[in-house]
Amino acid sequence: MSEKINIKLKINGVFVTLEVLAHQNLLRALRDNYYWDVKCGCEVGECGTCTVLLDGQAVKSCTVLAAACDGHEIWTDKGLGLSTKLTARIQDAFVECGSVQCGFCTPGMVVAATDYLKNGGKPDRTAIREAISGNLCRCTGYVKIVDAIYKVAKDIEEGLL
Amino acid sequence: MKEFGYKNATTITEALTLLDGQNARVVAGGTNVLPYIRSGKYTDCRLINIRDIKDLNFIKEDSDRITIGACVTISQLKKSKLILEFVPALHQAACVFADPTICNTATVGGNLASASPAADTAPALLVHDAIVFIKSLNSSRSVPLSEFFKAPGTTVLQRNELITHIEISKQKNSGFIKLGMRKSMSISIVTAASSVTLNDAGIISSCKIALGAVAPTPIRAAHTERFLLSKKPDDDTLSALIKATNLDISPIDDIRASADYRREVTPVMVKRAIKLALYEHC
Repeated sequence: MSEKINIKLKINGVFVTLEVLAHQNLLRALRDNYYWDVKCGCEVGECGTCTVLLDGQAVKSCTVLAAACDGHEIWTDKGLGLSTKLTARIQDAFVECGSVQCGFCTPGMVVAATDYLKNGGKPDRTAIREAISGNLCRCTGYVKIVDAIYKVAKDIEEGLL
Repeated sequence: MKEFGYKNATTITEALTLLDGQNARVVAGGTNVLPYIRSGKYTDCRLINIRDIKDLNFIKEDSDRITIGACVTISQLKKSKLILEFVPALHQAACVFADPTICNTATVGGNLASASPAADTAPALLVHDAIVFIKSLNSSRSVPLSEFFKAPGTTVLQRNELITHIEISKQKNSGFIKLGMRKSMSISIVTAASSVTLNDAGIISSCKIALGAVAPTPIRAAHTERFLLSKKPDDDTLSALIKATNLDISPIDDIRASADYRREVTPVMVKRAIKLALYEHC
């Protein structure tokens, strides 16, 4: 068995201590501890459905070593949606625009969109596509997902958010 | 059953001590290492986390050189004004590197150490005369990047050594171009970087060309460089470099493209990289 490590970190604004295996990725560590809004897709950094914010930056949690997150801060889609206006608005926009079909890519898409918009992302379809280029969706053809992010970006630009 | 250990290093010396004489592997961003663990390429070793070592994370400017710490992420490169101004090829490579979420964790040291023939930062760094600074517990050395790669996945790095930083020379006329199957998250079919200086008469007075994914390692294209020297970079010259370029490369058939296709397309990429260096300043 791999060595067991105790890590202290902040997840969705709450300080927690987790026991993780030395080689475990952050994705598994989160799901083992009931953060089920983080989805497991390819687990090799291709699909992006496991995207979370690590110290404020969107990363694929399957390519991050869980033990290395000791002392760092994680936000998942659910936590962001419950505590930040921006992500809550993105989630609503996904529903309004019909951006959710099977829904498996949605948590990762919402986190990637949050990262884009909180760093001053503009309502620019090309830039939005680039921002979510690490997140695969096999249902929507991306059009409605881009529509949703565009809608929120427009709201921010017009001072509505 | 997997048997891994883990240690967090907070200083370079601590990391080197942990690496010395141990069955240990360095983890920085983890974008290569985690898939290696999953596929079984890495088994039963102690993982040394160097992500939080502050001395490995800096971009510094001297009079004619720029120094980049090994743990600088691709996102940091993308956002750096220094890199944009003085190392345009590296900026352009960072912009087409994987996707934004991978860029937030992947490091420049890791991209070099994993020694993929298709590593996107390598050709850009090669045309800027990159020197890799390596440390072990009892010694330190520096190796030009052109001598750093040995074979696919193999470098001159020993198991007890760590890349600390990379030094590159400033050059405003450089460019990088990548050909992949799609715009994002693609492993390159061909990458080309160039750094070109013209004299007052518009003749190439110095020229460096580097290529990725067309040889066992990222390479400097010596024949192409010699061919271009003292010529005008007009369309006739750039269309005639096909022979020289084909002497430089030894492409293979793989899942992404055939060797024949790579032979056809590499000279075109070289041509575009040169035009990018000369006419499209960032």
